[in-house]
Amino acid sequence: MEEGTRELHVGKLVRREATDAMKAITVEDLTKQYWFFEKEAGFAGSVRALFSGKKVFVDAVRGIGMDVHVGETVGFIGPNGAGKTTTLKMLSGILHPTAGWVEVMGHVPSRREKNFLKGIALITGQRNRLFWDLPAEEYFEFCRVVYEIDEGLYRRNREALVELAEIGDILKVPQRKLSFGQRKRCELAAALLHDPTVIFLDEPTNAMDLLSARRVRRFIREMGSEGRRTIILTSHIMADIEEVCDRLIIINRGQIVYDGGTRELNQGNGITKRIRIVFGGPWERDLVEGLGKILEADDEEVLLEVESERSVEVASRLFAALPVKDISIAEPPMERIIESLYLKGEP
Amino acid sequence: MIGLGRYFKLIRMLFKFALMRQMAYRAHFFLMITGKVVRMALLLFFFQAIFLKVDRLGAWNYDQVLLLFATFHLVDYLMSITFQRNLAFRLPQRIQTGELDTRMVLPVNLLFMVSLEELDLMDFFSSIPAVAFLVYVLDRIGFAFSWGQALAYLTLMANAILFLFSVVLIISATSFWTVQSHGVSRVFDNLMKIGRYPLDIFEGFWKVVFAYLLPLVLIAQVPSQALLANLTPGFAAFGCLVTLGFLVFALFLWKRGLENYMSASS
Repeated sequence: MEEGTRELHVGKLVRREATDAMKAITVEDLTKQYWFFEKEAGFAGSVRALFSGKKVFVDAVRGIGMDVHVGETVGFIGPNGAGKTTTLKMLSGILHPTAGWVEVMGHVPSRREKNFLKGIALITGQRNRLFWDLPAEEYFEFCRVVYEIDEGLYRRNREALVELAEIGDILKVPQRKLSFGQRKRCELAAALLHDPTVIFLDEPTNAMDLLSARRVRRFIREMGSEGRRTIILTSHIMADIEEVCDRLIIINRGQIVYDGGTRELNQGNGITKRIRIVFGGPWERDLVEGLGKILEADDEEVLLEVESERSVEVASRLFAALPVKDISIAEPPMERIIESLYLKGEP
Repeated sequence: MIGLGRYFKLIRMLFKFALMRQMAYRAHFFLMITGKVVRMALLLFFFQAIFLKVDRLGAWNYDQVLLLFATFHLVDYLMSITFQRNLAFRLPQRIQTGELDTRMVLPVNLLFMVSLEELDLMDFFSSIPAVAFLVYVLDRIGFAFSWGQALAYLTLMANAILFLFSVVLIISATSFWTVQSHGVSRVFDNLMKIGRYPLDIFEGFWKVVFAYLLPLVLIAQVPSQALLANLTPGFAAFGCLVTLGFLVFALFLWKRGLENYMSASS
């Protein structure tokens, strides 16, 4: 075989391609189709479905492609049902793709080879991986054996992760007695004990209170800061992404509609933010109108829509020129961002 | 290398976890063991009641039926200590809820993990009276110890466990397609119970089914016959081949099931 190339085998398919040491994840034309039996409502519908259920196919992911390099922290976002979790499950070997190509660190994930699984971590906001009746430290021990972690490395990682996740005081408490946020932080630490190089996080801050979510975000940022780990993070919470990721991939209805920098997203894509201003005295309508589009207004309060990248500038001009008592800038919901990308016509 | 040492360590660890879990619910633990022993005693009374009316069940006399009974319970206990609850109840649930995902990303054999994740120590302790009962029955039938027979008995018992493992896996693996967690395991429970009666109580079609098609005789009757020295080597070999066939089919279904796994949405 030529130097700098490699052969990849999947079933009878053999591919030869140039090796790229910096490429952690390659995805080409990836598709996942689900099926289920359609069932009419009610008891009669259930009985009918037993004998003549109509098979319905749903395309959860439709021919997506991406390359992710070592050291990147990528936000993978989209509304509910967009296909982000399905993609993550194909990347981590849980789901078999219907068509297309996936490669993670030179492995085909669906084969679930031991070396592949030892190099990744999947952390989900929803599913509980720890033994429910047992304390986290027992699960840590379990991970040490399962991942064959060298004793010295285990001790070092454990110490660092316990500190980072701030769970030193709850390690001996059975999982069922912990709060949701505490449990998730224990899980994060446990999932990283074996020092994975590719980390998949599926809505890690979902259903968490603000403080816990902030702690988790800080944790992820620390993880990615070393530059040797590749992190893919799905979320439908913009704050997760803006705080943690350099790159953003937006998926909607199974297709990628944006792949680029997180900061660049707000620029030139027609995305707007809403500023709510409460005035402490009379205000001039003409001046405010000159800064953006007034959506609602009364004597004391105005809701103003401005282009995303101008929001800070507009806020400071309002402060300088008018008797502002309070001001708040609302992030655009994911649905509006995606709608804007579509309206722009060149997602 | 499949790293057997790591798997032994894991079993030891799962055993420790099971013990920790059981100790957390101590009152429940003793109550359950008592319940299991009482259940076994009641079944014994049932057999005694039958033998008050008849001398034999087919070719089986009272003491021989007791041996069958003791063997059945030992196999049953071994199965419930290890894989039964995990495969028959937990696996369909994990498929339905998508909890299987978190096991799939661990670098251990997935079937090992889902079969032994929660060992049932309750049945480990309840199996002690069953062993004592077997020793008592062996004494009653006047069993003269021979290595050959003892080895055949243990081998065929292992065969019975493997056969049951395959049947449970076949039934549970269907959950990958049906995504139902209820009812599936009940089918198995009811089938399994047939194994505690001598085949002689069945006639015609069902006798053929339970001897050859779904040979529930492998569970207790075949190992017992090895001890009673009335098992033909041909049937013993047939029993092992059937188990192999069921196992191959179960593993095939498991593999196809995983490929078909849809995982619950989050």
